[in-house]
Amino acid sequence: MTRVTYLLRRLAQLFIVLLLVTFGVSLLVRLIPVDLAEVLLPVGSQEEQDELRRAIGLDKGVFGYYFQWLGNFVRGDFGSIYYSGGTEAVSARLAAAFPRSFLLMIYTQVVALAIAIPLGVISAYRAGRRTDRLIGNSLFTFSSLPSFAIALTLVIVVGVKLAWLPTLGYAPISDGIWEHLKYMIMPVASLSIGLIAVYTRLLRADMIATLREDYVTMAASKGLSDRRILWRHVFRPSSLTLFTSAALNMGGLIGGAIVIESIFATYGVGFELFAAIQGRQFIALQSLVAIIAIFYVAFNLIVDIGSGFVDPRTRDRRINA
Amino acid sequence: MRKFTIPTWCTIGWLGFVIFLAIFGSLLPFRPWEYVYEDSLGVAPFSPGHLLGTDTNGYDLLSSVVNGARLSLFISITAVGIGGFIGAILGITAAYVRGKLDTVMVTLFNVALSVPNLVLALALVSVLATNIDVNNPVPTWRRVVVLTAALTIVLIPILGRIARAATLSWTNREFVVAARSMGMRDRNIIARHIVPNVLPALIAVGFLAIGVVIIAEASLSLLGVGVPDGASWGGMIARGRNDLEYSPHVLYVPLAFLALTVISTNHLGDVLRSSLDRRESKL
Repeated sequence: MTRVTYLLRRLAQLFIVLLLVTFGVSLLVRLIPVDLAEVLLPVGSQEEQDELRRAIGLDKGVFGYYFQWLGNFVRGDFGSIYYSGGTEAVSARLAAAFPRSFLLMIYTQVVALAIAIPLGVISAYRAGRRTDRLIGNSLFTFSSLPSFAIALTLVIVVGVKLAWLPTLGYAPISDGIWEHLKYMIMPVASLSIGLIAVYTRLLRADMIATLREDYVTMAASKGLSDRRILWRHVFRPSSLTLFTSAALNMGGLIGGAIVIESIFATYGVGFELFAAIQGRQFIALQSLVAIIAIFYVAFNLIVDIGSGFVDPRTRDRRINA
Repeated sequence: MRKFTIPTWCTIGWLGFVIFLAIFGSLLPFRPWEYVYEDSLGVAPFSPGHLLGTDTNGYDLLSSVVNGARLSLFISITAVGIGGFIGAILGITAAYVRGKLDTVMVTLFNVALSVPNLVLALALVSVLATNIDVNNPVPTWRRVVVLTAALTIVLIPILGRIARAATLSWTNREFVVAARSMGMRDRNIIARHIVPNVLPALIAVGFLAIGVVIIAEASLSLLGVGVPDGASWGGMIARGRNDLEYSPHVLYVPLAFLALTVISTNHLGDVLRSSLDRRESKL
């Protein structure tokens, strides 16, 4: 099987996954034992509710409803959120929420990798010694703490007692980079601590395996410095699992940071999703889940293509698997 | 089996202690947990009469934590047990049979995994716990059942995928091929040769999953869709969040129990996993 057909097959698979996810959510929404039109327009008249039923396809059965939603979604109409006074397009809210989540995700990944890579390299270099055990044990403890525990502690110590950073809200980059970062530091810190532990462990394990390779002994016997061997000869071939795992976390971080986003009132995609569930805005819920799933699946594909570039050995191996 | 180290004994001791409290806590002479002590609101830990203090509503924290252990452990152990059982059946069957069934199963796992875990749990809870009458609140027992069911459903694809991967590495081993060529039935091969080899890995992951579920329960409570009225550790943490500034112990007492338990299950899962690795490398 050539590379092109492999990629085409992967694309088809991912497409099917997306269709099934969105259909699953659609089914879930229809399974709720309430009349959706009544939930969305509780004070509306019978005619208004009937009109809404027709507009979003509630009168058409499970498949009709799904395809109507899908048709709108593909055309960029993500549905509306229904208030007592009117409606608001989901796409408008998403336009505000998405950059927040995306930046939060990027910062978290950068911070986590920037701390985890040196820690992982040091742990692997000093494997089994005191430094390694110290790093391993302290990261293990931190990773067992829920992220909201770190977030709440930061709020009370850094936000309230010391009053160094604002505890609620978000400022866009256009308000100034420092103003923007002030709101991001605590959410990023709470989210990245758990990831640092995971990344360090992955890198440490892979580096220890690579350090046993013959070419490392060869490099050492040539008289290369340890630093050069570690970073030039060992780090790169050992980093594949690390970057794969990092990329796979991206989709989850965009929609999965619900608790942190609600503690710090960052109001990103995760919080919008939570608000949609709480407010019974089922059309919005369906569209938001679809968006998150698209991101997850897209990063999956990028990992697949990208890992072939980072480590050419995986190109053929994976096709056979 | 190698001898356990001191930290491992500590974690086993802690888990035993918490499980003991969860099962027999209601028989021990603790103060009633749902009683309001109006003369001691928000007293600090180690006060006379209230070993771990009270919260600002006047609930005794020691009694609440003992009582909360029951629901937190029940939800997590049930979810991991049932989810692991179903996931193992699906994953092992898919990996053993291969072919179309495997493709379908992998696709379904991918579908479920493409939604972040907490989002999936949240959506399931809100759908399953929706009453027809909005003004009629859902009773606590139904919330617990729905929460456990939702977390179980979330765990099935995660554990199923691990079971599938573990099975794949055993199905082409010599002893399995030999058993098959001798005409042993598939059902017996799976029961005698695959399951005993896959099970230890699954149990190790199961320990890690228990920690994840305890945290997930607490996160859902913090978002207001978990167990209400402080009846679980998550519920207590959600309550303590409001008292964070002036009586932080209301938050940190249940959090400490939760964290120690999660650290223990994670540690045991790690110990189990590394002991498995050792056996493999000796072969």
